[in-house]
Amino acid sequence: MSGNLSMWRRMRGSAEIASCREVGQVLQSYLDGEVDELAAHRITRHLELCRRCGMESSTYAEIKASLARNGAQAVDLDAVTRLRQFGQRLVDDPPEE
Amino acid sequence: MTESARDVKRREMYAQHVLPEIAALLRVARSMTPQASDAEDLVQDTLLRAWRSLDSFDGRHPRAWLLTIMRHAEINRHRRRRPQLLDDPDVEMARQAADEQAGASAEDVVVGRMFDEIVESALAALAERFREVIMLVDVEGLTYAEAAEILGVPEGTVMSRLHRARTRIRAVLAEAGLAPRRRK
Repeated sequence: MSGNLSMWRRMRGSAEIASCREVGQVLQSYLDGEVDELAAHRITRHLELCRRCGMESSTYAEIKASLARNGAQAVDLDAVTRLRQFGQRLVDDPPEE
Repeated sequence: MTESARDVKRREMYAQHVLPEIAALLRVARSMTPQASDAEDLVQDTLLRAWRSLDSFDGRHPRAWLLTIMRHAEINRHRRRRPQLLDDPDVEMARQAADEQAGASAEDVVVGRMFDEIVESALAALAERFREVIMLVDVEGLTYAEAAEILGVPEGTVMSRLHRARTRIRAVLAEAGLAPRRRK
């Protein structure tokens, strides 16, 4: 269905759909939610149609998710407990200022 | 406001806005310091500074406010050394249990774990300025503008550091066969 015409459109881009080149430049900002609504719409359309850019997008989305997992689990729960106790002591028995 | 009413208000503000952010502060502190014990010291310093500057806090965006304090604390901090804390084996067990609960196949788990390990080691190999933006944006979910404010750099710098960091991680994954080769 998509055929050569839509292939040409997504390579070159248009008002409705971003080009591969544009996607390459702003893909990470797009995944971070840092592009405006119109740009996001044009990129989303491109990613629906272009397999290569879609794979690139999936790769970066996986990296983002993995970084979030790594960061979240790196926290030392014993340290958090000690720091909460420290913070609570500040509340219960404030230091002289 | 009487002195005691001010104290009550400060206690409420601290309990409501500061204490719930401790885990997030510690995560970011880990990206700013070489050792776990340094991170804990840094957060403790931040908690004390937050208490002292509570009167200037307007109650909005506590995380960004605290991370800014922490950034300043790190710049000014005199590092004290303590024996490094041991990693908690419970964390790894909890993670395995979570994988099993999710019903992932053994192969998915292995590939997923490998992906995460490579991402983690690639992240560790990056310079601190790159790890910081990753922690702020990918882990703590801040916007580029918020991260720029905390780090005291232009938004464009946050963006370029972040993109370079992830591009580097992607390259390491591609070398390991876990991401498509870079297209040209």
